[in-house]
Amino acid sequence: MVPLENYLVLSAVMFSLGVYGVLARRNAVLILMSVELMLNAVSLNFVAFAAYLDPDKVLGAIFAVFIITVAAAEVGLALAIVIRLFRNRATSNVDEAASMKW
Amino acid sequence: MGAEEAWLLAAIPAGVFLVLALFGRALPRGGDYLGVAAILSSFLLFFVVLVDFLDTPGKLGPVVNDIEWSSIGENFDLRMGIYVDPITIVMFAVVTTVALMVNIFSIGYMKGEPRYYWFFAVLQLFVASMLLLVMADNLLLVYISWELVGVCSFLLIGFYWEKRSATEAAKKAFVTTRIGDVGLLIGILMLWKATGTFNIQEIIHHVEEGGVGQNYLFAAVAFVFLGCMGKSAQVPFHVWLPDAMEGPTPVSALIHAATMVVAGVYLTARLLPLFEVADGALLMVTIVGLTTALLTGFMALAQTDIKKVLAYSTVGQLGFMFVALGAGHPAVAMFHLMTHAFFKALLFLGSGSVIHATHHNQEMDKLGGLWKKMPITGTTFFIGSLALAGLPPLAGFWSKDEIFVVLNDKWGAWAVVILAFAAVMTAFYTTRLFIRTFMGTPRDKDVHDHTEESGLVMTGPLMFLAFLAVVSGFVVFHGVGKALGFPGGITEFIFLPHHGPHKYHFDLAWAAASVAMGATGLLLAGWMYWGNSTKRSTQLAEAQPGLYDLIRNKFYFDELYQAGIDRGMLGFSYVVSWFDRYVVNDTGVDGSAQVTGFSGGVLKYLQTGRLPNYAMAVAVGVVALAVVGLVVRG
Repeated sequence: MVPLENYLVLSAVMFSLGVYGVLARRNAVLILMSVELMLNAVSLNFVAFAAYLDPDKVLGAIFAVFIITVAAAEVGLALAIVIRLFRNRATSNVDEAASMKW
Repeated sequence: MGAEEAWLLAAIPAGVFLVLALFGRALPRGGDYLGVAAILSSFLLFFVVLVDFLDTPGKLGPVVNDIEWSSIGENFDLRMGIYVDPITIVMFAVVTTVALMVNIFSIGYMKGEPRYYWFFAVLQLFVASMLLLVMADNLLLVYISWELVGVCSFLLIGFYWEKRSATEAAKKAFVTTRIGDVGLLIGILMLWKATGTFNIQEIIHHVEEGGVGQNYLFAAVAFVFLGCMGKSAQVPFHVWLPDAMEGPTPVSALIHAATMVVAGVYLTARLLPLFEVADGALLMVTIVGLTTALLTGFMALAQTDIKKVLAYSTVGQLGFMFVALGAGHPAVAMFHLMTHAFFKALLFLGSGSVIHATHHNQEMDKLGGLWKKMPITGTTFFIGSLALAGLPPLAGFWSKDEIFVVLNDKWGAWAVVILAFAAVMTAFYTTRLFIRTFMGTPRDKDVHDHTEESGLVMTGPLMFLAFLAVVSGFVVFHGVGKALGFPGGITEFIFLPHHGPHKYHFDLAWAAASVAMGATGLLLAGWMYWGNSTKRSTQLAEAQPGLYDLIRNKFYFDELYQAGIDRGMLGFSYVVSWFDRYVVNDTGVDGSAQVTGFSGGVLKYLQTGRLPNYAMAVAVGVVALAVVGLVVRG
């Protein structure tokens, strides 16, 4: 049995990579992928804790399934926005889309 | 039905008011017959109440009928009801009788006036409110109907609202009485705070048990009395009543002579046990009454408008009533209230008849010699004048005489001298009024030639009231009262519970003195004005120019108040307006808007529109929250 700490470390690494990606990247698609990475890190946490605390119950796993579902819907929506952005500006660089300001 | 259902007296006119106010315009003749019918039924119901009241076992015990009005929590239980006792009975008699006469008279007087239906509608509302006022068993109900009659007075003074002077007079009446009303409200609340009830009898009981401190009680009573002074136009609140003559003359007769203005006398009489317990309150009432009687006596001397003379005389006679109250005799005050209501309503309706016949001429300088033209009006006016002057055997003599007797018993000679002076002046200006209007030769031939006696609808009420002005004084006698079914004369009918009946007895010395006062004034005025001559009065005015100006300008009360308003009031308003403009508006309202606008202008640059900046802000925020959470949890 793999100890809980390993999962948590992996999850933290994935989450941090995701945060770094969101903050550092300028390409909208890459930002989306980074967000997915963060979500998956969270899912992993849920599953790991579920298995660690009470293997008979699958509450954490159910949460993971929900997150995957929501993430799928969110990515669908976000990609649609990225496509509209690309059609209008011929770019997917988020710095180009900065007209919503004062 | 019995006396318990006395509320019907007020309910019927109130219902007719609603009908007239809503549908009067569409009714033929403006629904005036409905008005007369309503008052007539109140008038007839009064006799039912009276008979039942006199038959009540336990003679003259008050009849009470109350309902729970609202109840809040455990301790606050508000009851509303009627309380019928001899004072109420007398007020019922006065209000229903005069109101009926005035309603009938108005059919003739108001014929062809605009808003004819509205006049009758408001008249009904007034009668309903006035009847409610005199039978209310608690101060809250008194206050409500007190304001209602004030509103009716306002509406009727300003009846001819096309005339600026009428709207000004209505406003003046409303504002002046309102100053007193604030006092009344404060007084009522003070009494409630001290006794925990609004019920008049319970308050009196509580106070008589000594449940309220002297100073507190005096303050409360003085505040209540302030309201009475405003309503009854006592100096220094008298200024509104002469101006109120802008209203139609029947209104002056009903509201500003016979009923509404005596509300102050009524309330003081009702609460007199409180005045007796509070040290000095009776003296206060006496002094206010004496001052008013004296000053308004002077003011009436130099007026040339018929109605204004009568208005000042009304104020003066109200002063007489307060003097009687100040002597601790509500019975005498109510007696004078009743006789005064009859003869003063007669005089006002008589002047209305003159004004109507001369096409709205009410200046004495243009009248004269009208007796031959208007024999009925002239004769009834003559009777009313003699009653006002206080000559026997007319009603005014008996009640005025009795005031002098009780005043002498209570306060002694100094007060009697002042009041006697006022009585002489009353006789003087009344005689002057009569001579200048009805005697001598006409001063304006054109007006005189077009004058005709009024119709029966107007002279009928005059004759009935003249009859009352002759006979209503006799109710003071024991035998007359007995014959009418009362326990005796009026002073044996009305009395404060712990005083016992006060038996009237005729005192020849006082009667002679009283006759002498009336005769002095009468003869002086006759000497001065007889035969269309103003030579003597002009000489007198020229001999004493300062005094004449003082009286002619009514002691400059109006000018004083106007200066007070111009200087004090407007100055204060200027300060308040400055505060409102620069502190509240510019600093408070505009200031907060400017702060918001300025901070928005600075902070808007945080909205860069760049996604990474927002993402960074979120990330930093989350980390910060996590750090804070860790620190707080330790």
